[in-house]
Amino acid sequence: MKEKTQKRRYEVTLWQLFVTFFKLGAFTFGGGYAMIALLEEELVAKKRWITSADMLDMVVIAESTPGVIAVNTATSVGYRTHGVSGAIIATLGVVLPSFVIIAALSFAIEAFQDNTWYKAAFTGIQACVGILIVNAFVKMAGQLERDWFSAILLIAAFACATFTKFNVIYLIMIGAVIGIAYTLIKNKVAQKKQAADGISGDSDSGEASLDNAPQDEDAAGGSDDGDGAAQSSAENFNGDGAAPQSSDEEVKK
Amino acid sequence: MIYLTLFWEYFKIGLFTIGGGYAMLPMVQQIIAKYGWLTDAELINFIGVAESTPGPFAINLATFVGMTVGKTTSLGIFGGFLGAITATVAVVLPSLVIIIVVMNLFQKFKTSKYVQGALCGIRPVVVGLILSAVLTVGCAVILPNLDFTNINAEGFSQFNWISLVIMAAFFPLSRLKIKGKKIHPIILILSAAAVGIVIFGVFKVQQ
Repeated sequence: MKEKTQKRRYEVTLWQLFVTFFKLGAFTFGGGYAMIALLEEELVAKKRWITSADMLDMVVIAESTPGVIAVNTATSVGYRTHGVSGAIIATLGVVLPSFVIIAALSFAIEAFQDNTWYKAAFTGIQACVGILIVNAFVKMAGQLERDWFSAILLIAAFACATFTKFNVIYLIMIGAVIGIAYTLIKNKVAQKKQAADGISGDSDSGEASLDNAPQDEDAAGGSDDGDGAAQSSAENFNGDGAAPQSSDEEVKK
Repeated sequence: MIYLTLFWEYFKIGLFTIGGGYAMLPMVQQIIAKYGWLTDAELINFIGVAESTPGPFAINLATFVGMTVGKTTSLGIFGGFLGAITATVAVVLPSLVIIIVVMNLFQKFKTSKYVQGALCGIRPVVVGLILSAVLTVGCAVILPNLDFTNINAEGFSQFNWISLVIMAAFFPLSRLKIKGKKIHPIILILSAAAVGIVIFGVFKVQQ
């Protein structure tokens, strides 16, 4: 794959990259996923700049790295086809139309702000925006794993963000720490289990640890003490993960 | 220096937004409240605009906030552009760097226990944050005086029941599928604007 990339790298000029992503930025409404579908059609099927396997990889990267999905996809396609300068040019291309349109619109918004009709229209729009956010939530919640771990983290983050002034960035960091601890412990427990009784019943350990999970999540959810809470709950996870294995003393360590 | 603050806050938002535009919303709500850059109502209005203009939602939002903040400086319109550029560059910069690094380490990245673990913790948190945005935005529309971090009787002094009715009417519409396709958000927003104009403009109904 690497070899192929090298060969294909400069088949695309910077100008082509810029124009393609400028068009995508100017004509996709709703961002992210709408753009990915268009990109696939444009870059994989029509222009053949990248293979569909590459495309899939890039979508994974765009979703699991920080930032805006549409922009991330542009950056990665730019980088794949034309190196660092490609990444910068593609990103610039996709962002520029929004920038120009919104900058222009902000003047209109300012001019009409006190207009009665404008206000009336936006009172209706506000209600509709509420619904759009509900739908964004429903869509993203549907993509989550359906387990206690996710449910508890979700509720704890919701409660903290809604009822306290706790910085949401810390919540995301705490989530990352808990997630790493949980995954490492789960893997370790699964390994021990496998080592212990050869063919393992995985579901057993999974469910047992879920029963214990609520307590430590409450600690993280209800409090404002930030990293301390994250650490302690990570610690608790260690205990919980191991608890179902209580017969194996060494797991508890 | 307001541009430095703008850059730093948006850099952090860019760094911690995982899962697309709406995931950014709770962070934007927090910073505009912290610095008094926009009111909740202005933000919600603009979400309507951002959804009905092309381009990624989050970029539109960053440009708009930057523009609004920049215009308050002594530089006027020029300051507005400067603010818009600052916020937009700041929000894109972290992912630009991270993606270039990740593209080079993709195989390692994809199978890393740490990356997978962090994501399995971050995803539910982000969805929880969006749920919080659902509630706070919904309440800003229906109960504009309510502050969730300090709930008291005053919060319930104004109740926009007409907005509640519009919401209730638009929810089934937004889930409706015609020939397997959902109604596009732009159409929903435009019809909501029309409903608003008729109710509050033509008939001059008071909330």
